[in-house]
Amino acid sequence: MILDYGLRIADCERAAGALVLAAVLAGGCSKSSDQPHTLRFAFIPKAVHIPVFNYARIGAERAAKQMGGVEIIWRGPESTDEIRQKELLESFIAQHVDGIAISCLNGDLLTDAIDRAVDAGIPVVTWDSDAPGSKRQAFYGVNDIEAGRALGDGLAKLLNNRGRVAIITSLGADNLQKRLDGAKDVLKTYPDIQIVEVFDVRDDAVRVAEVIASAAQRYPDLDGWLSVGGWPVFVRNALDPVDSARTKVVAFDTIPPAPDLLRAGKVQLLVGQKYFGWGEESVKLLKRIIGGERPTQPYQYSGMDVVTRDNLDAYLQQWQRWERGQ
Amino acid sequence: MKWRLVPGWSAALILVTEFTFFALLLAPRSGGPHTFANAANVALILKYSSIYGIGAIGAAMVIGAGGIDLAPGAVIALASVLTGHLFIIEGWPLWAACSLGLAIGFVTGGLAALLIVGARLPPFIATLGVMGIARGAAFLITEGRFYDLSQRLPAGTAPLGLPLSAWPGAVMLVFAAVFQFVMVRTAVGRHILATGGNEVAARYAGVHVGRVKAFVYITGGALAALSGVVLGVVQGQGKADLATGYELDIIAAAVVGGASLSGGRASVVGAVIGSLIFGVLRNALAQIPGGTFADRFILGVAVLVIVVMDRMATREAT
Repeated sequence: MILDYGLRIADCERAAGALVLAAVLAGGCSKSSDQPHTLRFAFIPKAVHIPVFNYARIGAERAAKQMGGVEIIWRGPESTDEIRQKELLESFIAQHVDGIAISCLNGDLLTDAIDRAVDAGIPVVTWDSDAPGSKRQAFYGVNDIEAGRALGDGLAKLLNNRGRVAIITSLGADNLQKRLDGAKDVLKTYPDIQIVEVFDVRDDAVRVAEVIASAAQRYPDLDGWLSVGGWPVFVRNALDPVDSARTKVVAFDTIPPAPDLLRAGKVQLLVGQKYFGWGEESVKLLKRIIGGERPTQPYQYSGMDVVTRDNLDAYLQQWQRWERGQ
Repeated sequence: MKWRLVPGWSAALILVTEFTFFALLLAPRSGGPHTFANAANVALILKYSSIYGIGAIGAAMVIGAGGIDLAPGAVIALASVLTGHLFIIEGWPLWAACSLGLAIGFVTGGLAALLIVGARLPPFIATLGVMGIARGAAFLITEGRFYDLSQRLPAGTAPLGLPLSAWPGAVMLVFAAVFQFVMVRTAVGRHILATGGNEVAARYAGVHVGRVKAFVYITGGALAALSGVVLGVVQGQGKADLATGYELDIIAAAVVGGASLSGGRASVVGAVIGSLIFGVLRNALAQIPGGTFADRFILGVAVLVIVVMDRMATREAT
């Protein structure tokens, strides 16, 4: 049944596909023949469809261009498929690329492969999401426990230290777990704040809208939402069921359209990461490691930006400077 | 075309052509080791393709019998979770945990068979239900956690002297050989294809159609579970969201390998080769800059091109 449908659309797809294939392959040929001695750095995001990672790609490609002699291979799974991410990582080890920078979907699952890469002489840095038990030489990103605490403290202040709170996360990733732990630890110190539920949205912006809508039905008296990832602010309408007069929202991430939602009062506090830095700093770290300089401290914390309506304009000006690479 | 193309043979031809193409395309320009055509990379392709390939052996038989099975991805996850739970939480020995993980495939396959043969549900609906039940059971067992099997598997674990990373490929090749024999050399194989070709005629010819269907769904379930057990042990994790959506890749591998969704035609070896064709493509595209967003598109086109070529070749031959 599936196949019959497929065959009907086969002709146009085949023609278009052949063109794309030819273009992609031609691109591959010319790049590898023109620059025989370039360093090949593989960048593996959690998945190519997650919007924050595009800034990391811009950052990495910009840094590679400025440095010269570095080629970025940006490659991630199409969905948050952990096995697929590991397959990609292992294929880069088999290719013997010159460096690997990865945001781990599941650090434990990747640890043995990362160790094998390092043992084979390929430097590995993690960014955004770490594999803390592995031999990776460095991690660049926010201190996730601190970031989680900032979210928790921010929400507590907005709620005047009392109320019922729901949390949004995606289970499995090391960075999100640390943010969750940080947020929960802080909220526990406020005796009048109660966490009613922790929702797993599996890195899915559609699921988050569904979760928020159904929770609005189930907990009409909810006072606050805390999201350790940017899912509710990656789309414009996920927070629509939330009564912003009653319920305060704090969320991770500041990429568009989050600033618009902040200005509109749909969300009250955002915690931003150094998105371009994930790419730029990872390239620099890999280059330094290849040059024989091992970071003295594996944790290269990037710092974070706590953004509210008060400092939103200043933050957006800073964002434009980042976009221009200043 | 003068020669007669057997289902699966054209897939083998495509695999060889594909591999040669990428080996030439990705040949190092400035000397040095080949980044694609080397032993470690071939081992890697085998290791990851076998997650799909083991399941595709079962899918080829199900499709050959005129059915369809949407459950393999979910059964892979459930088997990995169950093995992990028994091995890590209950402290069972590895062989016992793996055996029960495998047994769950007989249960899910048996349930599908019961619904299709007993309750006469269309296979698409029956296995859609089984898929939901298997995935749901995996989430119920884990409650969002995962089981770290690697914590009880010391580094360098090599059951029967074979290193863990070589196991998936070896299991796939052994079972492909076994079921290729079943399909080509035994009455069971002939009955499967007869059932898929024309169920009524097969029944009049004395084939126990119900038994044949039960056999393919139970075997298919068991093979998917085997893939899940191997995945769990080799990758060191049992997790409820593993292999999400893999059922379609498994079906695609079987179809590319010469199985006809209208039944009566399938090749076990072809299905394994089909999964290797995708494995080579996934692996090689990773080496081409800018390829990451074209990946799925090219895979989709490849399925259609290969199937059309296969159909044209076999139509001309008959």
